[in-house]
Amino acid sequence: MALSATVLAELRGIVGPSHVHDAAGDLVAYARDATPLFSHRPDAVVFPADTAEVAAVLALATRHRVPVVPRGAGSNLCAATVPLRGGIVLVLTRLNAILEVSGDELLARTQPGATSAALADAAAAQGLLWAPDPGSRTVATVGGTIATCAGGLRGLKYGVTRNYVLGLEAVLPTGEVIRTGGRLWKDVAGYDLTRLLTGSEGTLAVITEATVALLPAPASANTGVAYFPTLADAGEAVARVIRAGVVPATLEFLDRACIDAVEDFAHLGLRTDAGALLLFGDDGPPDLVAAHLDRIGAACVEAGAVEVTTAREVAQAEALLAARRCALPALSRRGGVTILEDATVPRPRIAEMVDRIDAIAARHDVAIATFGHAGDGNLHPTCVLDSAEDHDAVRRAEAAFADVFAAAIDLGGTITGEHGVGAAKLPFLAARLGEDQLALLRRIKSAFDPAGILNPGKLGS
Amino acid sequence: MTGDVFDPEQLSRCISCGFCLPACPTYAMTGDEASSPRGRITLMRALQDGTLPPDDGTLAEESSFCLGCRACEPVCPAGVEYGSLLEQWRVHQWRGWRRPLVARALMLLVEQRWLLRLSGLVRRAARGRAVTPAPPPSAPAASALSAPASGAAPAPAAAPGSAAAGGAGAQLMLGCVERGLYPAVSRAARALAPELAVPTAQGCCGALHAHNGDLAGGERLAERLGADLPGTIVTTSGGCAAHLASVLGRDRVRELSTWLADRPAGAELRVGGRRARVTLQDSCHLRNGLGVFAEPRMLLRQVADYVELPSAAACCGAAGTYSLLRPKDSRRILDAKLDEIEAAGVDLVVAVNPGCLRQLRTGLRRRRSAVRAVHLAELLARVESP
Ligand SMILES: Cc1cc2nc3c(=O)[nH]c(=O)nc-3n(C[C@H](O)[C@H](O)[C@H](O)COP(=O)(O)OP(=O)(O)OC[C@H]3O[C@@H](n4cnc5c(N)ncnc54)[C@H](O)[C@@H]3O)c2cc1C
Ligand code: SF4
Ligand code: SF4
Repeated sequence: MALSATVLAELRGIVGPSHVHDAAGDLVAYARDATPLFSHRPDAVVFPADTAEVAAVLALATRHRVPVVPRGAGSNLCAATVPLRGGIVLVLTRLNAILEVSGDELLARTQPGATSAALADAAAAQGLLWAPDPGSRTVATVGGTIATCAGGLRGLKYGVTRNYVLGLEAVLPTGEVIRTGGRLWKDVAGYDLTRLLTGSEGTLAVITEATVALLPAPASANTGVAYFPTLADAGEAVARVIRAGVVPATLEFLDRACIDAVEDFAHLGLRTDAGALLLFGDDGPPDLVAAHLDRIGAACVEAGAVEVTTAREVAQAEALLAARRCALPALSRRGGVTILEDATVPRPRIAEMVDRIDAIAARHDVAIATFGHAGDGNLHPTCVLDSAEDHDAVRRAEAAFADVFAAAIDLGGTITGEHGVGAAKLPFLAARLGEDQLALLRRIKSAFDPAGILNPGKLGS
Repeated sequence: MTGDVFDPEQLSRCISCGFCLPACPTYAMTGDEASSPRGRITLMRALQDGTLPPDDGTLAEESSFCLGCRACEPVCPAGVEYGSLLEQWRVHQWRGWRRPLVARALMLLVEQRWLLRLSGLVRRAARGRAVTPAPPPSAPAASALSAPASGAAPAPAAAPGSAAAGGAGAQLMLGCVERGLYPAVSRAARALAPELAVPTAQGCCGALHAHNGDLAGGERLAERLGADLPGTIVTTSGGCAAHLASVLGRDRVRELSTWLADRPAGAELRVGGRRARVTLQDSCHLRNGLGVFAEPRMLLRQVADYVELPSAAACCGAAGTYSLLRPKDSRRILDAKLDEIEAAGVDLVVAVNPGCLRQLRTGLRRRRSAVRAVHLAELLARVESP
């Protein structure tokens, strides 16, 4: 569906001619995000400069029934920003100012296009912590992080993005601008629209400003590594750590294939002869951090760790975390296509889930490497294929992942712990929520977006 | 299907994670996916599988807007060799008449060995004039490169082995841009490493060709130079080093700072009675292609107070022929860099590549800045090109 000349002219009138792109090449660049196997060209890419322009574009789109897909950095892994029905990709990276960081109120106000890392840096400059920490933080925008309710490496102790959003300014598809929540930590007036919009994946409204809670920066932090013969042993260690009454900030595991790939890229001197490693870390007063790291190390040894070390310097600890953040792209050194999934199970059942994933991979004859936020029960089984052209292999991988999701639900878990539903997981959502709840989701969607223009083919469709 | 533009293995490595976005200077300028490394790879894929026609305007624009600085390479966890993909892209994009005129003219020029030799003659003729001898201790510190009070600047060695062509020892490469624009740089290198032979019969390394859509020509020239200079080739140009290494193998090629790394860098450099404050502008290809950045810093720290700029690793906008082909974009990138350099309060900014040297020098002169740009070799040997 190409846009009519009128619509294009109106768009150019709203944001200025240089901020509407509709040449074929420009559209190709916005046909996909970080999700493999999904691609669809938009009809125009629009770069608004402020809330008023966003509102005018949305009102226009509703009037003309043109689909609009909000987009931050396009680093999501569930095809959430692939414009399945064409229309407009609304890029929010020009709205990238961090408007305020308040140490007195422990909060920041930011536009959605600032990166999560930029917000973290601005907070750190005032001795504060922006807790959400997705692996993609240097790229991902705050808007995208809120819209996907991203988790990350600190999720165990600090939770996901949802816990830190105090208030939002958002534009409804019909063009009205609403402000939800605000600067208060306590405010129970009305339905909690702030929470509803957090994780709504660009299907209800476009976030144009966010007020987020910050924490005082912890006094110190450190990280350690434990090596295990198998991933199941590492899973057992996680259970023991939690049982020992320690809630570390970070508890991440990598299996052998992931260790190999990360070591290939980062050259940290990781042991590549181990079957799995557990990366653990904590922050807080130095004594407490040291004590916690000791206890975690002891729990690992009980679970069969063959070696436990802690980082000697801050730089080394940061390097370890950075290496873990890049596990996914590093894995692609193994083949042409890397399909990463995101399933979560109750923590005590991690080892069981790992076993099931192994069995599923064997049954479908695909290679699945696994890493994840072990402390949250959040696993990222990742399938590496030689090529997307190998349609049979792609089909086998897809079938394997359908089984992985079924296994997660069977163990009392869910089909996504942090990456969201997008287009990629939509077919599995009913299995998790049930038909009645899906119907309610659709009614909520049509209350916000009567014309159904905002990110169609995703949540609420 | 266009099909055969890119090595499919290299092209399929990118998983579109976007980790490279924050490193890319053109993406920083526009915020547009199409001018990011990930976006450009998406465009290359569309060219490869025929979803975009070869004459698409965005393809043409983005292949030339890209600086080729390869800042996207070291940050890519998947190990995508972007620089190599860009070269392949330009072979296709800039076929025949579509190659920019300036690039064509330059390529023709450096391919003429007699012309290079001629510039070599000019260089020799200019030798006496261009050396700025270290001023005596009493002289006012007019030159930023004034010698320390003790006057311990290394004496330029008496051109050993200048005619010694061939031989399997290490040899100094003269560089086709450098011998024309900055003969003093080669002269300084000889003073610093008198053991190097300096055959005058040597051509161009072909980096210019490889980056401007003539990959085959670039390889041919590199191989010819490799035959002219058997054994280890030492160069004062980061760009040449990276290109030569990619064709002849890493073990054949050394950039000067790594050659000098384990010897004493000489006496302290003083400006106006105090230790000089210097900073380094990395050569993109040296840093991102060969991973060399510690050695020049180490040498500088020995002779001066070293100031690291936040954007030292980011391209200065020279980018081979870029400053000639896209002067406006090049200026925009340079201006931000010069603001940073001036704000840092340094006396000197040091380059390890003739293109960067030219870019910085021109920019600083245009601003009438008090900061001077010099090549690392010039600084260490205490000579300066005019
Ligand atoms: C290597 C890698 C590692 C990752 N690690 C993690 C991780 O550890 N934890 C995790 O949770 N995720 C992770 N992710 C997924 C992803 O990076 C995060 O979800 C990220 O926060 C998305 O931000 P973005 O700016 O790229 O959003 P985009 O991908 O651009 O958009 C994501 C969704 O948000 C919507 N959206 C974006 N901006 C707005 C807005 N202003 N208003 C309304 N809707 C909007 C879009 O429509 C889309 O539905 C990772 C991704 C990669 C590639
Ligand atoms: S970092 Fe590498 S894999 Fe990721 S998008 Fe950039 S080039 Fe592709
Ligand atoms: S080579 Fe430089 S300008 Fe080109 S895509 Fe990579 S980082 Fe960007």
